[in-house]
Amino acid sequence: MIGFVAFSIKRAWQGFWRNAVMSIAATATMVLMLLLLAGFWIINTGLLAGLEYTESKVNIVADLFDNVTDRQVQDLMARVEAMPEVATVHHVTREEALQRFKESRRAEREEDLTRFLDSNPFHASIEISLTDAEHYNVVQNRLCSEPGPTGKGCAEEPAIESVKNQRELVSSVLTVTRFLQTAGAVALLVIGMIVLFIIVNTIRLAVVARADEIEIMRLVGASDAFIRWPFVFEGAMVGLLGAGLALGILGTAADQLGAFMFDFFRVLPLEFGGLARDVTLLVLGAGLGLGVLGSWVSVRTYLIR
Amino acid sequence: MALPIAPSDGVGADPVRHVPEPSVERSLSAISSEVTPARSVRERLLGGGRSGVRADRPVLVLHDVTKQYPNGKVALNDVDLVIPEGDFVFLVGPSGAGKSTLIKLLIRDEVATRGAVVLDGLDLARLARRHVPKVRRKIGIVFQDFKLLPRKSVWENVAFALEVTGTPRRRIRPAVDRVLALVGLTAQARQHPHQLSGGEQQRTAIARALVHDPRLIIADEPTGNLDPLISWELIQLLLRINELGVTVLMATHNADVVTALRKRVVALEEGRVIRDEVGGAYHRMD
Repeated sequence: MIGFVAFSIKRAWQGFWRNAVMSIAATATMVLMLLLLAGFWIINTGLLAGLEYTESKVNIVADLFDNVTDRQVQDLMARVEAMPEVATVHHVTREEALQRFKESRRAEREEDLTRFLDSNPFHASIEISLTDAEHYNVVQNRLCSEPGPTGKGCAEEPAIESVKNQRELVSSVLTVTRFLQTAGAVALLVIGMIVLFIIVNTIRLAVVARADEIEIMRLVGASDAFIRWPFVFEGAMVGLLGAGLALGILGTAADQLGAFMFDFFRVLPLEFGGLARDVTLLVLGAGLGLGVLGSWVSVRTYLIR
Repeated sequence: MALPIAPSDGVGADPVRHVPEPSVERSLSAISSEVTPARSVRERLLGGGRSGVRADRPVLVLHDVTKQYPNGKVALNDVDLVIPEGDFVFLVGPSGAGKSTLIKLLIRDEVATRGAVVLDGLDLARLARRHVPKVRRKIGIVFQDFKLLPRKSVWENVAFALEVTGTPRRRIRPAVDRVLALVGLTAQARQHPHQLSGGEQQRTAIARALVHDPRLIIADEPTGNLDPLISWELIQLLLRINELGVTVLMATHNADVVTALRKRVVALEEGRVIRDEVGGAYHRMD
């Protein structure tokens, strides 16, 4: 077994260098295709992170009656927090609401009109962020689907005066994000298929160029394993070499790429911690996998005769 | 054990077939007694002892073999042929007569539609795919276009046949050196095919065919790319190998060689054996 593996690796090495032009062409194609795949993966990751951030901004704001007690607010928040669809609940007091308004006016360089007010016109509220924007309707209905017994407030939660109705906005956001997510996944799949076919075909060309060699091996009585495995190892070599070069190029460009990504997504607090690891695994896995698959499929054509 | 089909069987039924000379109708036991000493010579010169090889059977038997391709073309039709060990057989016939198909059946590149192709006691049609490589090692095949690997030296080309069949390295060097000496290419061992003459390239191919110590050498138009003088040298080499006990089946259009040597001639035409004659000429001589 060790002898067979040693033979296969030696033959793969010889095959690679003795057919240098085809091997280099296959490796170059591998590098370009892996860069394409990795580039698209990075863009798609950024897109998904952006969409996730956008969806995270979808929250439910429930205004409270001015006369509710702290105890009622605490009970309400406990009930809301217990809902599986709810991520966090934040209590915004009337003072906090007023303060926010002032800050927003200041940020917009508008005059502070609140100084003309006799009293604080803002309601206290609870802001509910959801685990998924899709749960918007469910949570909203649970809080306030019908008016209360007096015709005001909500039947489900007496402390709540009203819940801002953002259904249409949420629906629009969800439609756009779902479309972009699907489009990103489809584009990644299409790119993946293109990469698969181009790499498999390039390796097939390299194998076809050595059809004579395979023919001779068959005629002198080489078993399928002795014919196949050297080519599979060679495909793996092309894959790993291509992946190494592609990662080297990505690594060299990482700083500029990082700066670009940072600028591009500066407005969003995105997490890119796992991206480098994911891209490394993707490139190495795709390189090795496609190299082996390409060789296996190409040699098989000759073996099944 | 008697021959299941004597070499002449299947010939007499066809009026156009030439009646073979009595020597072709030797019984298998007679063949066996004749070839035994020759084989010991071969073992001594080519090396590699044989185990499990029974001398009392022919190397090759074709019984009622028909080959029809998927497109409907019948390339071989009811072919019977027996080749005893140590025989030298010319396979002749016009292009399209079925010679190439016959060779493909022998190396199990194709499978007979009907009938049996038995090589060294193994029915090739019933052979599991995984056993095919082992059968091919019993055959050495030589082609008109040499089929050498251009980036390998003469030595490497010959060694390649052993390497890819998992032969231990310690056995490769002596075996390759021995067959290169046999074909007279020891001095050219390090040269590459493009540095050799056509005759030397074909001798390299013969060395590669011999290195497995085969039961049968199949030469498909081996002189087709060579000039007459070199062709004769090559034929002499094949005769010498045959004298060492290796059975040789040579497909050829070279009428001069076939007629001059007066060996056994099997003539194919439109997929049928029309003549099986010991001491025959290229063309039928009535």
